[in-house]
Amino acid sequence: MGERPRVYKTEGIILRRRNLGEADSIFTVYSDREGKFDAVARGVRKARSHMRGHLEPLTRTRMMIARGRSIDVFTQAETVTSYRAIREDLERAAGAVYCAELADRFTAEHAPQDGLYALLIDTFDALEAGAPLHTVRFFEVSLVALAGYELQLDACALCGARLPEADTLLSATAGGLVCGPCRAGAGGGRVVSIRAVKVLRHAGRAGIDSFAALDLGEALARELQAALGDVIRHLLEREPSAGRFVDDVSRLPVGATLP
Amino acid sequence: MSEGAGTPEPITRLIEAFHKLPGIGPKSAQRLAYHVLRTPPQEAEALAAALRDVKARIRFCSVCLNITESDPCSYCQDARRDASTICVVEQALDILAIERIGFRGRYHVLHGVLNPIEGVGPEELHLKELLQRLGNEEVKEVIMATNPSLEGEATAMYVHRLVAPLGVRVSRLARGLPSGADLEFTDDLTLSRALEGRQDF
Ligand SMILES: [Zn+2]
Ligand SMILES: [Zn+2]
Repeated sequence: MGERPRVYKTEGIILRRRNLGEADSIFTVYSDREGKFDAVARGVRKARSHMRGHLEPLTRTRMMIARGRSIDVFTQAETVTSYRAIREDLERAAGAVYCAELADRFTAEHAPQDGLYALLIDTFDALEAGAPLHTVRFFEVSLVALAGYELQLDACALCGARLPEADTLLSATAGGLVCGPCRAGAGGGRVVSIRAVKVLRHAGRAGIDSFAALDLGEALARELQAALGDVIRHLLEREPSAGRFVDDVSRLPVGATLP
Repeated sequence: MSEGAGTPEPITRLIEAFHKLPGIGPKSAQRLAYHVLRTPPQEAEALAAALRDVKARIRFCSVCLNITESDPCSYCQDARRDASTICVVEQALDILAIERIGFRGRYHVLHGVLNPIEGVGPEELHLKELLQRLGNEEVKEVIMATNPSLEGEATAMYVHRLVAPLGVRVSRLARGLPSGADLEFTDDLTLSRALEGRQDF
């Protein structure tokens, strides 16, 4: 392998920020070419920092990075999209932060995952344009597939038998839907409605816009959120922190937004 | 650099203690520890006493959660201050900045902001105390003075949604260009908000 260039350019979504020392921050970025990486922005917490607003979490940013011995360093950052509509709406912001956390947890550093950057951008673009919150379910189904855990939804994940057009067990352990006879060996799961099954299949085949345009209604949207939440929790072996926040926000009284 | 086996235990302990402070790396911790070693005994004693006192005598104000020696704190006790306006800040230090510009209402310190990925949720902030105050005191306006970051804004929106049903006005600080900013380097979000918030001469 040849020497890697000392400075590289890339474009990415800022996933996380942690403060370092008095004025620096470390950012976790998911980028098109480098995959996920951490880099430090020196002096970014000072009011006059040129990079400050360009490195806010959830921003799509073009950046220049210098490879450092222990950690890479931002030398330039310029916003492509600030996703203002997302960050000014609590539900959308919570959904986008949840997607950002999943992108972080499902990837390893400097190992770009084919299609993931485009998925992040598509999801954020859709949410920014006013797509309903169930668009996050499209992100979950697609992310899980990209990470190599595509849900088996067309036949029984254990025996391959055809599934009846009826409510069916979705088992995270089995990796998809499970037929009646296999249920005992599925290691638990959740029975999902046939409507939910159809929506999940649609997420695997359709584009994000077509999925976002579905009119799910509240009960079905909640069912899908819970079912995919099980799958994500099983794969990560933990509850995503932002998932709890999504729940906190959903319990708030609905009301006007801040001026 | 790591401490060799020959480093006396009290020094190692001091280095470790400094290393736990925010923004102090292993090298700085070492430098600080050896600095303390060289200072006169009375100075080191004064440092130790200051550390002890801050834990023994300083507490949270039972009303606004400001850090204080007397409870309630001086801001909450001062009858000349406008009790109908509460300025909500992320940390106690922010009060000093708001005081400097002449605000004379009351405060409420959240001791953090919502940070969903790092696991800081509403339970970790002092929101219950704020809601209690809104129930007990004659409050007309809550000013959200959180930072214009993703976390600060999420916190402001969250508090607004909690408080709005109580019929209390919720406002937040204007967002725009910081003085000394350079348009060329300003991000679009800040710039577009500054444009929206423009004012006639
Ligand atoms: Zn089967
Ligand atoms: Zn007080």
